Amino acid sequence: MAGSYDVIVIGGGIIGLSCGYYLTKQGKRVAVIEAGGFADGASGACDDMILFQSKKPGINLELAFESLELYKSLVGELDDSLGFANYGGMVLIQNQQELEVMEEFVTQQQSYGLDVKILDRKEMLRKQPFLSDRFIASTYSPMDSQAYPFAVMHKLSGKGRKLGMQVIHKSPVTGIEKDGNGDYRVSTGQNLTYTAPVVVNATGAWAGKVAALAGAYVPMEPRRGQIIITEKVPAVGETNLWTAKYLVSKLKSGFEIDSTEEEKRLGLGFAFTRTEGDSYLIGSTRESVGYDKRTTMEGIRAIINQAVSIVPVLKDVNFIRAIAGLRPATPDGKMILGEHAGMKGFYTAAGHEGDGISLAPITGKLLADMVCGTTDARLGELSPNRFAKDAKEVS
Amino acid sequence: MAEDKDFFICRCEEVTLREIEQVIDEGYDTLDDVKRITRAGMGLCQGRSCSKVIARIISQKTGKPIEEVLQVSYRFPVRTEKMKALEQEGGSDATDN
Repeated sequence: MAGSYDVIVIGGGIIGLSCGYYLTKQGKRVAVIEAGGFADGASGACDDMILFQSKKPGINLELAFESLELYKSLVGELDDSLGFANYGGMVLIQNQQELEVMEEFVTQQQSYGLDVKILDRKEMLRKQPFLSDRFIASTYSPMDSQAYPFAVMHKLSGKGRKLGMQVIHKSPVTGIEKDGNGDYRVSTGQNLTYTAPVVVNATGAWAGKVAALAGAYVPMEPRRGQIIITEKVPAVGETNLWTAKYLVSKLKSGFEIDSTEEEKRLGLGFAFTRTEGDSYLIGSTRESVGYDKRTTMEGIRAIINQAVSIVPVLKDVNFIRAIAGLRPATPDGKMILGEHAGMKGFYTAAGHEGDGISLAPITGKLLADMVCGTTDARLGELSPNRFAKDAKEVS
Repeated sequence: MAEDKDFFICRCEEVTLREIEQVIDEGYDTLDDVKRITRAGMGLCQGRSCSKVIARIISQKTGKPIEEVLQVSYRFPVRTEKMKALEQEGGSDATDN
């Protein structure tokens, strides 16, 4: 026996640490159990965006607004800048078809209160003078922001530990079962057992496997995202950048996108964000290759070709590293947050895919509220039980 | 006078001995942990100059054998490289204009 707690959070990435922190703040005795070391999973191999423009109007956009407010208050609470910055973002548009889809999308987002507009070519180039000629317009939102994931995790963990939270590294969970008192017994690779009446599964791409240990069903697929990192360079334009191509294909099913076979296989989309360290993170791929999180020459080369074709001055910039993380993808593109039906005290908080950094604070806060007995009617559509029908078909 | 610990161990990212020791004192005891939290080893040289020194500091402070601390994963690119070195004709979007 290694200890008994009010809540065991499995997974010490940004989602698990946020859940652990907000639960601890509400007075719970919490252990966060992590299979690897600090930031070993997707939270340590991702970009740093709190991005609004990629979100469909609906629960994801609503929660992103709330998460941004929480980030602002965490800067004070955790006594650290957290690398929080607000460079704004632009989505680059290269033809009339894309422009029409983006105009419609921007109007919807505006009706949800997002400060976003379409810039014509001249206005776009004023903010981004180094772009290739091929873009005809862009969007612009001053709200797109960012935070430095390592700082956020370090400070959530540090403040949480000050308040009594335990963070246990190098402890892969190997079993979850109920004991005679109705508590969960969570055992780890070290043959240690932790018990608590509440377990939170915050294991990202591994959430399906961890849920299965407890007999619960979570449909989760890993998507590999590769990203390259440049040396420190002066700012290239005023904002962070994306291309509409990928967004448009997500927004309009059946919309014909002119892509090569390689681009399709790699799920290539352009994301260009300035980091706290004055370098750029340039992404990214979205590949279905199981749990393989190696970087590949094919992926790195495709990212570089795309980046140089969009911002040609990058040709002479050094890239110093490539990283890859497994983004947790759900069947409907929405995270899974809630208690499993028929399994009192077993919660899942996972499946953010590319929105983990954006949505970490609000996820932790909502999870802690749920565990402490507050219900939020909006969260029904995020419940793990929305997939119950699929579970029956699988079994 | 207090011992001077405000000198750079990682020169690329300007991380001092004091900052590195602080993080080890918080209980982080691997090169990856220290790197991710302090940025030491994340700069232009990618830890080529400082990672052995940091490993020794971790080893001295925690008592872990140096060989155990030095086990880290290396990833491509091994050296920094200009993007144009990898850019190729006919790749995605590369035929722009």
